[in-house]
Amino acid sequence: MPKSIATAGGPRTRRGYAVLVAFALLAVFMVLPFGFVLLNALKTSSDYSAHGPLALPKAISFDNVRTFWNLVDFTHVLWNSVLISGCVALCAVVLSVLNAYAIGIGRIKGRLWILVAFLIANLLPQEGLVYPLYYLAKQTNLYDTRLAVIIVFTVIQSAFGTYLLSSVLSAFPRDILEAARIDGAGKLRILWQVVVPVSRPTLAVMLTFFFIWTWNEFLLPLVFLVSNQNQTVPVALGVAQGEHIVDVTMQAASGLLGIIPAVVFFLIFQRTLTRGVTVGAVK
Amino acid sequence: MLTQGSGRKAAALMAVVAVASLGLSACGKSGPSSSSSKVLKLWHYESADSAMGVAWAQAIKEFEQSHPGVTVQFEQKTFEQLQKTAPMVLNSSNAPDILEYNKGNATAGLLAKQGLLTDLTPAVAKYGWDKKITGNLATTSRYTNGVMGSGDWYGIPDYAEYGMVYYNKDMFAKYGVQVPTTFDEFTAAMDTFVKAGVTPLASAGAEYPAQQYLYNLALSKADQNWVNQYQIAGKGDFHDAAWTYGATTLADWVKKGYIAKDSVSLKATDMGTAFESGKSPMMVSGSWWYGTFESEVKNFAWDTFQWPGNSLVPGSGGNLWVIPKNSKNAQLAEDFIDITLRPDIQALLANKGAVPVAAQPADITDPKAKQLVQNFQTLQSSNGLAYYPDWPTAGFYQTLVSATQDIINGKNADGVLGSLQSAYNQGLAQ
Repeated sequence: MPKSIATAGGPRTRRGYAVLVAFALLAVFMVLPFGFVLLNALKTSSDYSAHGPLALPKAISFDNVRTFWNLVDFTHVLWNSVLISGCVALCAVVLSVLNAYAIGIGRIKGRLWILVAFLIANLLPQEGLVYPLYYLAKQTNLYDTRLAVIIVFTVIQSAFGTYLLSSVLSAFPRDILEAARIDGAGKLRILWQVVVPVSRPTLAVMLTFFFIWTWNEFLLPLVFLVSNQNQTVPVALGVAQGEHIVDVTMQAASGLLGIIPAVVFFLIFQRTLTRGVTVGAVK
Repeated sequence: MLTQGSGRKAAALMAVVAVASLGLSACGKSGPSSSSSKVLKLWHYESADSAMGVAWAQAIKEFEQSHPGVTVQFEQKTFEQLQKTAPMVLNSSNAPDILEYNKGNATAGLLAKQGLLTDLTPAVAKYGWDKKITGNLATTSRYTNGVMGSGDWYGIPDYAEYGMVYYNKDMFAKYGVQVPTTFDEFTAAMDTFVKAGVTPLASAGAEYPAQQYLYNLALSKADQNWVNQYQIAGKGDFHDAAWTYGATTLADWVKKGYIAKDSVSLKATDMGTAFESGKSPMMVSGSWWYGTFESEVKNFAWDTFQWPGNSLVPGSGGNLWVIPKNSKNAQLAEDFIDITLRPDIQALLANKGAVPVAAQPADITDPKAKQLVQNFQTLQSSNGLAYYPDWPTAGFYQTLVSATQDIINGKNADGVLGSLQSAYNQGLAQ
């Protein structure tokens, strides 16, 4: 009996080790670029130029990080990004829920075509949107305001959100809706007290993605947020790139500062993400 | 499970968002425009410790001293941001009063053509700027219908750029190499390095450096008329003696190991690193590296010399001060430009490693900087600035990058020159 366990366990652990090694290698490859960013961010530029990008720093120096932080007023830039991404994530989720409620559960007429329209709008490259949006923003006096970016991205993200959530809600258990209706709940009450709580895991996932996607947006914030006081993190990262010359260590430092908030946000919401995925799977 | 709380929470959240958004739009509007016309809104994209950054900070100080009651509201922009968004910003009421912008047909020329820039011709006459910005330097300041070379003035450069050979003095001493004064000595020096197993020239094929090698070689067989035909008249002939010599010699240099074959995929920054880390003893590029090397190279002594035998080198006026049409203080902006051209600011530019357009050599304290400026003034007096090879048509830069990559990779030079010719003709026809 003990022997059989040992023989059964032998190859399994060996296979386990093989998988472990494979994953460890994969993890190393994934982490390597971050490692290089960290490595170069903590060097002085003379150290970089003398020994190249792969050498270990001769002395740990936070000069680049500090210079970049002060140069772009990173605290303020960070706040802009949080504000914009946060507002967009919230508004886009609310808008998606309202749309999807009408399309997925209300089953309004022409819902297929509405969804196709949303999908097409979502596939449009942003370069094509820049000029029309620029003229609209100028007309409405919203050019160079964070509100303009919030509105634009709320619409863009909720187009995708509506598409996704509509198909989720169209599979919503009809019995629950029926029961609530018999209990005398109106349409609004069903939405807020039945549909939203039940699909909360999905909404949490959407919220997280909208936040991260908006956080990483570059082109439209670059175009719309002209003043430095309105800038977001990805736009501020360009400061190390000159016409002819790139300040590599400064770029690494800014890259590091750009990555950290996204990683922190991901770690905080990691549980929501996995829970959202597993809830769907169990159902 | 279905509590009242969640609905109320959502409603509260929405209210917070709405209030926050309202606050945003309010502060966004009131911020810049609340102050009176006594603010000069100024943008540039030079880092604070670069030559231009230091000199212009000083110019701002002097401007504020000589204009009591006026404050300069400076914002440092990024190169990419202005490159991509300037036409939109300048067409809005958020335009600055004065900004640094890129020279060239596709940038300053385009804005001038669209009527977004103030015509500076009257100011040029008033302040006498044309006495300081002369000859080939003025080419990038004047545009006719968006094409540079002649016509009205739309921008003023404070500094110039020109090509040179940076060399590592320590490595030259180690291998017993003298600074070459003729082309033959130049190649002999490179042979010495190759024999010792050192790649003599740092280069980068994925960006501008490799095409500047090609252009330098072509220029060694060219004259001023050739430059005009190629750059301005649109009558370049890639099968002429100069281009053919350039392409075949570049291929030859790669074969001989003067330029590393694997530099084909490198970027300009990699070239700089190869020189700064002492991997290659020489690097041919523009004066924009000068300040960087001065502050970063600590391990060896370095200096520069002009490409032996060439009277023409790649180079031009630097980026421009332009005044948007929507500038609210064009008069003050002109005063500011004039201050940046004063001898003390110009000398400051030089001492920090840039090439000022109008400095007096006597004002320059740093001996190396003096040499840099004197070399430039010699070139300038003989109209030796030959611009850059990608200037004739829009989008030609990418064509040149892939063409030089083909040459480095050993493709037939004749075929590569043929494809350059057709791209050149096509670009000009548009």
